[in-house]
Amino acid sequence: MNAYVVTVATLVAIQSIVACGLNVVVGYAGQISLGHAAFFGIGAYASALLTTKAGLTFWTALPLVIAITGLVGLLLGIPSLRVRDDFLAITTIGINFIVEAVFLYVPFFGGALGIGGIPRVTFFHVKMKGLPYLYLCLAFLALVLLVCRWFTRSWAGLACFALREDETAAASMGISPVRFKLLAFVLGTAMAGLGGALYAHFMRFISAGDFSFPVSVMLLSMVVLGGMGTLWGPTLGAVILVSLPELFRPLLEIRFLIYTLLLLLMIRFQPGGLLGEASLVRRVFSRLMPGKEAPR
Amino acid sequence: MKKVLLSVRDLAKHFGGLRAVDGVSFDLHEREILGLLGPNGAGKTVCFNLISGVYTPTAGEIHFAGIRSDGLPPHRMAALGLGRTFQIVKPFSNLTVLDNVIVACGVDRYRSLARSFGGWTGAAVRKKAVELLERVGLADEADRKAGLLPLGHLRRLEIARALAVGYRLILLDESFSGLREEEIAPLMDLVARIRQDGISVLLIEHNMRVAMKLSDRIVVLDHGRKIAEGLPGEVARDPLVIEAYLGRGGSSRVA
Repeated sequence: MNAYVVTVATLVAIQSIVACGLNVVVGYAGQISLGHAAFFGIGAYASALLTTKAGLTFWTALPLVIAITGLVGLLLGIPSLRVRDDFLAITTIGINFIVEAVFLYVPFFGGALGIGGIPRVTFFHVKMKGLPYLYLCLAFLALVLLVCRWFTRSWAGLACFALREDETAAASMGISPVRFKLLAFVLGTAMAGLGGALYAHFMRFISAGDFSFPVSVMLLSMVVLGGMGTLWGPTLGAVILVSLPELFRPLLEIRFLIYTLLLLLMIRFQPGGLLGEASLVRRVFSRLMPGKEAPR
Repeated sequence: MKKVLLSVRDLAKHFGGLRAVDGVSFDLHEREILGLLGPNGAGKTVCFNLISGVYTPTAGEIHFAGIRSDGLPPHRMAALGLGRTFQIVKPFSNLTVLDNVIVACGVDRYRSLARSFGGWTGAAVRKKAVELLERVGLADEADRKAGLLPLGHLRRLEIARALAVGYRLILLDESFSGLREEEIAPLMDLVARIRQDGISVLLIEHNMRVAMKLSDRIVVLDHGRKIAEGLPGEVARDPLVIEAYLGRGGSSRVA
């Protein structure tokens, strides 16, 4: 593989991790979030600061980074999750703009200059770059997918599904809406934090613009395109939405037009996402391999 | 005298100027089926929502299973063993019928975060949910999406979910409405058997034949106030009740 392909693949893996986190919030618990890039950014900045200013290694910083992002997710989730649907969407957009502004204007976070000189990840004294770093990101993606799979099979996950379908009915079955929505929010933001840390040590320079509102829209698009609430959907969405602009790079002028067209076609013909219920992919799969369950 | 399970004292709920429930008191004993009747807009469903914790009362007290329960949120009431159905059915549409019941089977799990991390895909849970579906006669539909079921089936699904939660008391909000005639008798048997299992039932019902036959006692509401309470036979002859349903002077004219 050449360096360019490795770079794109690494970005796909990182974005997949973040999109999986968003899927926990949006797909499993049904709480719309248009500010997920904020938590991606909090993870990236936390890891960058802990490794450049506090002198920690990536590995010692990582548990802290995940904890910090999850904690901020909890603190911002408590007021946000009091509102529903479109109001929640607007609130989360607000969170995204505020967090971005804090990174941009507070000198501690490097201001407009961002943070540079972020060290590479070392693993047993070997600096990881190129292919090894891609493998590291894929390993974390596998871990995240395992956590997602475990969550969907836990009572907590089932409680989130019930809340997504009908909050009043779920509450009448002993499910505390606040507790389980917050749990999904913390889990989702912690995954974004992990993705952020991997991003920071991959790019080695980050600035506020990397975590702006359009990034949140892109992340939500990945989840919707792949299939909300499915296991593999966000990853498939990330593969398509990160690699498509690269494939269409010669058509620089109109690539966002193609990208928009793709989303509109999806909404019209595959509203459940590529791996969603009764989607084309699933129907073709069951035609080709009768009796076997398609991946979801 | 049987023990009081649910005690409602001077209960009131006002929405702005509207007194939806206005000073209602009644007791529900253990192993009793109490019918809550009244014309449309009498405040029956608001009463249900107050008891099950969806609304906080404007005034009055509710005692359930020995504790003061008014103001407790719905999930706490569920944990105390209160199961309920909804007049406007609320299925988890994108889950299967079986999974709908499994959600309700987890009522003990949701009380602590640590316990909620256990898995719900085990055979024991599945077996319990299938048994509940068999009791309401929905076992054949277990693997269908709940959103695809007709109303009669959804009403039975709601009862199955309420049964999984309510080991002390079950509130049935018009569970018989929209059912076909031949579906009603088995469901009445089911409710009667629920009581035999030691569970109390509070039911809102517009089908008079069902309400009169099932209920041990009946409480009648009108305009948010209790206008009658007693045995089914007594209540049916009460002039105030007849007036509430048919209007003033209706009793003589209709008779």
